[in-house]
Amino acid sequence: MQDGNDKIPLFRTWGQWYFFVIAFLILLIILFSLFTNLFS
Amino acid sequence: MSQLDWIILAVTLIGIIAYGLYKSRTTHNLDGYILANRSLPWGLVLLSIMGTQASAITFVSAPGQAYTDGMRFVQYYFGLPIAMVVICMFFVPIFRKLKVYTAYEFLENRFDGKTRTLTSFLFLLQRGVSTGISVFAPSIILSSLLGWNIYWTNLFMGGLLIIYTLSGGAKAVAYTQQLQLIVIFAGMFLAAYMVVHMLPKGVGFIDSLEVSGKLGRLNVITTGFEKGNGFDWGDKYNLWSGIIGGFFLALAYFGTDQSQVGRYLTAKSLTESRMGLLMNGLVKVPMQFAILLIGALVFTFYQFNNAPLFFNQTQVNKLEHTAHKDSLLIAQKAYKDLSEQKKSTVTLFANAENKEEKANKAVELSQLQHQSDSIRRQVRTWMQAEKIEGDTSDTNYIFLRFVVDNLPKGMVGLLIAIIFLASWGSIAAAINSLASSTMVDFHRRFTKKDISNEEEYRMSKWYTLLWGIFCVIVAMYSYNVGNSLIETVNELGSIFYGPVLGVFLIALFLRNITSGSAVFYATVLTQLMIFAIYIPAKLKLIEMGFLWLNPIGAFGVVIFALLLQPIMVKRKIPQ
Repeated sequence: MQDGNDKIPLFRTWGQWYFFVIAFLILLIILFSLFTNLFS
Repeated sequence: MSQLDWIILAVTLIGIIAYGLYKSRTTHNLDGYILANRSLPWGLVLLSIMGTQASAITFVSAPGQAYTDGMRFVQYYFGLPIAMVVICMFFVPIFRKLKVYTAYEFLENRFDGKTRTLTSFLFLLQRGVSTGISVFAPSIILSSLLGWNIYWTNLFMGGLLIIYTLSGGAKAVAYTQQLQLIVIFAGMFLAAYMVVHMLPKGVGFIDSLEVSGKLGRLNVITTGFEKGNGFDWGDKYNLWSGIIGGFFLALAYFGTDQSQVGRYLTAKSLTESRMGLLMNGLVKVPMQFAILLIGALVFTFYQFNNAPLFFNQTQVNKLEHTAHKDSLLIAQKAYKDLSEQKKSTVTLFANAENKEEKANKAVELSQLQHQSDSIRRQVRTWMQAEKIEGDTSDTNYIFLRFVVDNLPKGMVGLLIAIIFLASWGSIAAAINSLASSTMVDFHRRFTKKDISNEEEYRMSKWYTLLWGIFCVIVAMYSYNVGNSLIETVNELGSIFYGPVLGVFLIALFLRNITSGSAVFYATVLTQLMIFAIYIPAKLKLIEMGFLWLNPIGAFGVVIFALLLQPIMVKRKIPQ
């Protein structure tokens, strides 16, 4: 087990990763709203 | 099932078990059995997290949920990515720093032994029963559709599971879950392709979306606000209950339920644990959307084809032998006539050349669907009135009935293999976590004598066996558990998760609460309060969607602990 300072994949900080995950969720909700409106 | 289906089923299952056993052949100690020697890369951790959450119920019940209630169930998962972020920020670092085997060990460090015992007991109770239902879910469906005896199916499913979990532990679970998920996703994709492929000539994917959309099955986002009536607190799935209630449920499930904590503690580093969880936050919502979309497509398929009046034929057969026999015959005839009318109307809708014609046909179709739905509801009422033993809801049977009746040879075997694999993936991980918690949170602490690592490993295997038997027994008594099995399992979780999550929130964020007794009694009080809310809600005396129990439970513990802390500290000073 190595709990040291491993390199973070893709982004520089974990904060950027967290932002990315939340932003992706918001994007999905917007797309789902458009999907609902388009087909209802 | 055809011979080809049986061959595909047997080859898939044997191949995957052999692969898991081969990969875990070096496991001979407790750390390896419970936490795979904390050696796994994030990709495997991700698949293990997903495989543990996605049981057979997910793949069987969710499409049925979309068929009957639309795709709005996906909103239930909106809180999950936010929970992943919070867990990565606060929960994982502390679990890894303390090198715990179970999440509840941390609570003894922070408070006292009795708080740890209470939370792990609540976990064992809730997870043990939920896992039993998870064994029952695929068994009842397979037995109904294929005419197998339910008790033998339960025993067969449970027996194979026990052998499989006993032999390899966490490593076998993780390695087989990756293959299982590949087979599952391939099978579901093929099923989706086949649904669209089997639609009449000239009706494509977009047309089928239009049909299910106009009939209310593509209601992915709903706000829960009714015109003139304000917010509907009894509405189970909407944007707000999904984000807020779903967040607390996911936080409790991934942050405090050992069946999930045990998955990401198998990672070889903090980074790998975090990556597994964050990737789960990215893929879970789209994956669930895709599974529900299959249900919406199956719904469209049955607009162009005659749908069974009730998808669980066993229950219909039972109703035929009651006083409602004649009423059933009339209902079947009316339903068939409606299906014929729907077929011609939906064809005209799909081929309509202008918007006005399309809108008119959509209204007609909607009215016909409304009539079909009320006949289905009426049949359910008769089943309930006759107190027919077994499931009076057919949500869990819709997708598999479609598979068995319509898909070509080979596909049926593959889809049934998926049910087995999905069950094994999640149930094996759950049984492994039940055994770990019993061993680490109870056996180790309450038996005074020192035992060797090898003996602990052997004891863990015995606990795995006992929990496996417990789950099979629960499965044997799981008739009439609820409308949809996926909903029942989540409802059960919501009763217990809130208070346990509250304890962890205090441990992590409220440093000034130090009294273990205050937290212990706050948890007991909140659990009682949750029962006091849940029971009237279940009896429909009050309006309360079950997802709200999660935040109520979590905040309940926090508030009670803040109130009890000064009293407990005062009582302690004279001692």
